[in-house]
Amino acid sequence: MDSITKLVKNPWFLGCLVIIFMAVVMWNIPIEKRKYGLSQGSLVTDYTGLLPEHIERVVTAENRNDLQRIVKQANENGQKISIAGLQHSQGGHTYYKNGVVLDMRTFNRILDIDEQEKTIRVEAGATWEDVQEAIQPHGLALKVTQSQSIFTIGGSLSVNAHGRDIRFGSMAETVKEITLLTPEGEIKKVNRDDSDEWMKYVFGGYGLFGVILDVRLELTDNDLYTIHTEKLKTNEYASYFNRVLKQPDTAMHYARVSVAPSSFLDEMVVINYDHTENTDHKSVLKKEEGVRISKMALDAGRKGGTLENLFWAAQKRYIASLNRKEITRNNAMRSESTFMEYTKPGRVEVLQEFFVPVDSYDEYLTDLKDIIPANDKRHDFKVHNITVRYAAKDNFTTLNYAKEDMLGLVVLIQHGLKEEDITNAESLIQSWTNLTLEHGGTYYLPYYRYQTKEQFKSSYPNWQDFQEEKLRKDPNHVFQNMFYEYYVK
Amino acid sequence: MKFNSTRYLPLVVTVGQVVIFPYYIIWLKQVSLTFTLFAWFFAAFSFAAAWGYRIYQTKKNKERSLLFMIFVGMGVVYIVIGFIKNSYEYLPYVVLPLQVILGVLQGYFRAWHSEQDTYHLHAVHHYMIVGFMMIGFSFVKIISPVVFITIFGALLCICGVWEFFRIGKLSVPKKV
Repeated sequence: MDSITKLVKNPWFLGCLVIIFMAVVMWNIPIEKRKYGLSQGSLVTDYTGLLPEHIERVVTAENRNDLQRIVKQANENGQKISIAGLQHSQGGHTYYKNGVVLDMRTFNRILDIDEQEKTIRVEAGATWEDVQEAIQPHGLALKVTQSQSIFTIGGSLSVNAHGRDIRFGSMAETVKEITLLTPEGEIKKVNRDDSDEWMKYVFGGYGLFGVILDVRLELTDNDLYTIHTEKLKTNEYASYFNRVLKQPDTAMHYARVSVAPSSFLDEMVVINYDHTENTDHKSVLKKEEGVRISKMALDAGRKGGTLENLFWAAQKRYIASLNRKEITRNNAMRSESTFMEYTKPGRVEVLQEFFVPVDSYDEYLTDLKDIIPANDKRHDFKVHNITVRYAAKDNFTTLNYAKEDMLGLVVLIQHGLKEEDITNAESLIQSWTNLTLEHGGTYYLPYYRYQTKEQFKSSYPNWQDFQEEKLRKDPNHVFQNMFYEYYVK
Repeated sequence: MKFNSTRYLPLVVTVGQVVIFPYYIIWLKQVSLTFTLFAWFFAAFSFAAAWGYRIYQTKKNKERSLLFMIFVGMGVVYIVIGFIKNSYEYLPYVVLPLQVILGVLQGYFRAWHSEQDTYHLHAVHHYMIVGFMMIGFSFVKIISPVVFITIFGALLCICGVWEFFRIGKLSVPKKV
């Protein structure tokens, strides 16, 4: 007892406690520090914090009848409604000036899993993670989803998202049926054979054609894959990818392009997920791993110059280390995302995605070097990452970004928030978009609207059909958002 | 003059610490971004202060209290804070050790001060002075809290240098 008292009285006892506490705090300093979206104060934003706007109120979705009543009231009193999930879209798609925002995050129940039919019926506010957790014990996996599982089902369908799968087409094609709350307040079941073609406008409709209440999705087996990685020169990629497409063994694929000054747009690494003919019913869903280290490495890369060269070298080494490892389909569809969190006052990190036909890819990247500087260390506009994914030809949705088989370049960009910085970013992204259009490509609409209306019209020639159908299906303009106001209205 | 420096130096430091506290809080809240992290930083400071207090309490040769190093140490921490850019990505990782250093130094100083004859007199005086100073500061528009923090850091360094030159020439009267 005396020895314990003596120990406690020693100042180093307190010193050790302080050091231990410091280590614990250090390890738990949160990566995700920002608050965004509906949790903000008086003004609402989405993930980037750009386009802050005042709204009338947020309504938490609790049951279908309440939602139906709100929509019917809006038709009578001229209110405007927007729909929000986790608000990862970046162009004001989830809110509108002085409007009502339906917060769908609580509308997230799994309604039914049919093992025989391999389908799941789920409410639209559920995340892909919720779905994966529900189907994993049944040995099932999603056919098409985004690279990360942090988005809501309704949100992903509203932007007609795509991911790493190269066999099952677009996300819209994996939906068997939806329950829709129409702009006039009617709840109806809609499938692909519907004569009113609701799905054609709701998928990739950015929340302008009603509220998706629930969805029946097609599933597949939770297959086990072997990861195959390879380093390539950019000019070898298109032919390489065409070969991959012809190999039925490869189920999923994506690639990264170097944005490091020493190998800018010259080097690539590719990652394929090849069938092993085994399925997996036992593996658990992986959690986020190595977030702190990944974040520190990405932050170093964000500095540009030599550090960006080192970051690219580290990425290549890491990706090479994955070669021949096995992974389940579910786990391949839930990449880490927290490490990308970026919090720096006065600056913002945004995404843009450009689609180019597979055969134009090499020439496109060569021409891109004339627009984007290889070393952006001293530039305000910085490109941190380019990931390449396949987007299969989509004949179904109206605002379709893949009029033929396309390669989508997802670009992570950082720039300042001063007026001249935003103007400079707009100018560069508009030049990039023009180049994309010259190569027969398009750009993706869930992101911040740096592009002009003319570029939108050129990229989406069906926009008039979209506009006319919007007027037909929503004559009172109940469903509104900042995206619609800027591009279509 | 010797009498005055002995008497007033701890008072200047004590008053300064309290006056700078609101500005320091504003800065710390800005860099913490979440209340959870803000609270953790304060907990670290508090534990470290207890440690610093205990270090002085168990010190054998209290005549050699190296107070000048404590003043300069605190001053340097405040000056470092003044020069840190808020946009620094690893800021929370830097702020945490600074909080611990500041806590140890302040705890040590408080333990030393509490054993001086002037302590209770200083306690009353510092409350009064702080009250009047804060009324005065309420009319000063804050450009940035780090400006005040840096100025206070420099003042502490000056106190440290002053104390350094005073050492050996004067000993503070101890409690009987």
